[in-house]
Amino acid sequence: MALGGGGNTYPMQMMDTVQDRVRARDGAMRLLNRMTTGAAVSALVGVGVLGAVSAHTIPGATSTSTASTSTASASITSSSTSSSTSTSSSGLQSSTTPVTSSSSSGVAVSGGS
Amino acid sequence: MDNTLLWYTTRGAGAVTLVLLSAVVVLGILSVLRVQSAGWPRFLTVGLHRNLALMTIVFLALHIVTAVIDPFTHLGWLAAVVPFSSYYRTFWLGLGTVAFELLLAIVVTSLVRGFIGQSAWRLVHWLSYASWPVAVLHGFGTGTDAWSAWLFGLQAVCIVSVAAAAGYRLMAGSRDPLAAARSSFQAGVDRRESK
Repeated sequence: MALGGGGNTYPMQMMDTVQDRVRARDGAMRLLNRMTTGAAVSALVGVGVLGAVSAHTIPGATSTSTASTSTASASITSSSTSSSTSTSSSGLQSSTTPVTSSSSSGVAVSGGS
Repeated sequence: MDNTLLWYTTRGAGAVTLVLLSAVVVLGILSVLRVQSAGWPRFLTVGLHRNLALMTIVFLALHIVTAVIDPFTHLGWLAAVVPFSSYYRTFWLGLGTVAFELLLAIVVTSLVRGFIGQSAWRLVHWLSYASWPVAVLHGFGTGTDAWSAWLFGLQAVCIVSVAAAAGYRLMAGSRDPLAAARSSFQAGVDRRESK
């Protein structure tokens, strides 16, 4: 009929309801902890993924190649107009030596063979 | 640390912070509406809202710290604290500082809610409705690739989510179960005072 606890007596039906509510609350708390952990992990992964995506899509990363392509085609065009017989294309490569200006006076070298 | 790593971390953390902040605003609106179901008690919405808000502050701190210590940008700590004091995109970066300080005020007052009282806390908490759009504007104006497809799509999802939740909030009205009783009581008091 009734259960006693701490000097109080409760009907059995009420005890079941209370137990159900406690179980539901514990389940919801576990769900809250799981969702918080999942959100934290997802956010950390998101920083890495979005940072990587950002690195690939940042302005300049793709426009640089476009610019060099247009420069290359311009060079080819000018080459073909100046020399109509030359049709072969060996590909354009950037020079590894920097272009520098020199203001030193000329030096005469004597000797040698 | 590599400069580019800091720069991309700043951008990634900024995007994640916007997503988290949008989720916090949506959950805040849902908690006001007292949304619940059999498997989703009301305290779950409030608890998730609180946890995500604290998480937002952590990722916002990551966003700010990596931006400030990045030697390429030279933003300096002053720009992170004093709005519109940065040499770089002064207005748009200043909006970010304003959003950060509004958010900080909301979190601090929430942590000391017991001391400052419910009405003061509620007043400051209304700032969240100002903090979020300011943060969105900061993202659009400051982000180097804010108009790239992925970031634009992310921001659009955030805007639509918050707008839908706010619209639902406006249409649903008050979900306070005692609202009718309170209004009838207030009407009775008003009648008695007018006599």
